[in-house]
Amino acid sequence: MVRGLGDLESVVMDRMWSYRRPASVRDVLEDLRQERQIAYTTVMTVMDNLHKKGLLRRKQISRAYVYEAIASKEAYTAELMRTTLANGGNQAATLVHFLERLSPEEAEALEAALQVYPPRGRRS
Amino acid sequence: MIVAVVLGLYALSGAVALPRLLVRGDWAERAPRLAIAMWHAACASVLTSAVLAVLAAAIPASVVGHGIADLLEACAALLSDGAAVTPTGLVIAAASGGLVGGRLAYCAAVVLLKAKRERREHAEMLCLLGKHDSALGAVVLDHIEPIAYCLPGGKGKMVITTGALRSLPPEEVAAVLAHEQAHLQGRHHLVVAAGEILSRAFPYVPLFRRARSETARLIELQADDVAARRHARIHIASALVRLATGRVPAFSMGMGGENALTRVRRMLGPETPLNRHERLATVAAVGLLLAGPAAVALTPGVSAFLAHHCHELLPR
Repeated sequence: MVRGLGDLESVVMDRMWSYRRPASVRDVLEDLRQERQIAYTTVMTVMDNLHKKGLLRRKQISRAYVYEAIASKEAYTAELMRTTLANGGNQAATLVHFLERLSPEEAEALEAALQVYPPRGRRS
Repeated sequence: MIVAVVLGLYALSGAVALPRLLVRGDWAERAPRLAIAMWHAACASVLTSAVLAVLAAAIPASVVGHGIADLLEACAALLSDGAAVTPTGLVIAAASGGLVGGRLAYCAAVVLLKAKRERREHAEMLCLLGKHDSALGAVVLDHIEPIAYCLPGGKGKMVITTGALRSLPPEEVAAVLAHEQAHLQGRHHLVVAAGEILSRAFPYVPLFRRARSETARLIELQADDVAARRHARIHIASALVRLATGRVPAFSMGMGGENALTRVRRMLGPETPLNRHERLATVAAVGLLLAGPAAVALTPGVSAFLAHHCHELLPR
């Protein structure tokens, strides 16, 4: 189910990432129309938004724009994780933990602590 | 004047000594929720006594001498006819209170608005990059590193990477998500925000700085405890180890690994809650921290107030 423009943005971005080549609004529209009823102007608006948000770049070829994802989905995810972690753990914005960086000695100590625990006591 | 000195000395010494006092022993790790309340009470205590000290010093002796009745009268007069009655003392007092309050409000606005904006941007990216898994009740991100976290605000979102799903067995995934759920339900981001606001508003105060790092640490222990109500402690411990060690150490985190060690050891051992006496003593300490400064500030006023009324009631 697609609800708002936000969901459509994610659908369109997924298509753009899957093409791995530039595509016009018409290309995406035809692709999406195989599954749903959707208007040209809707797709155009969504792609324009994605361009404004810095996710798609575009250039004009004859009369229409041709769009292309600026970076791969993996790159965006890696960047999101990098900025989230770079904030240094717990921030008012996101509660990130489970991620304190461990020295090799600390990691060893943790593993050892887990090994010492009697297997009998492990409920699973 | 004595009251002002007492409160001032308390504020100064509390700002330095309280953090050292509160980190003693293992009581905080045994009762993280109470410990968070204690840190907040300590901060509120020092902050209010500093303001009250200025109030007590600034309000002229005559006003204090005539007690609260006069003070209330002066306030009423000030409110009804602000231009006419402006005792310097009251102006200074109001200014100092307003200064502290204003500084806090300003920093709160900065921190909260920034957090809100960051959360919105983060949620937007999650919408594009992640996939909601209704069985898990979490957003799954396609990413190699095992990471789990939560994004507060609104109903809040739990996020887990495919790397974490691959490296953890299902019961440990459930335990990790229960921990995240505990953060969201406990509104722990507000605890973090409070720490950030205080240490930003009044930097260089040892108490506020320590309160910030300690409460950030304690919410993790608290969330572990909540998760442990429904999940085996060993699963939480094991998930912690896997998540903490399975990652490429490419980032330098603010916090060291000490807390991870503490958390694993806690989850490996049985629960060690405070006994009734310890709990009572802790709650009493929280109450004392909160009520103490106000009680000290009001003592001369109340006694003068009573004397005033007794004097009027007495037959001449």
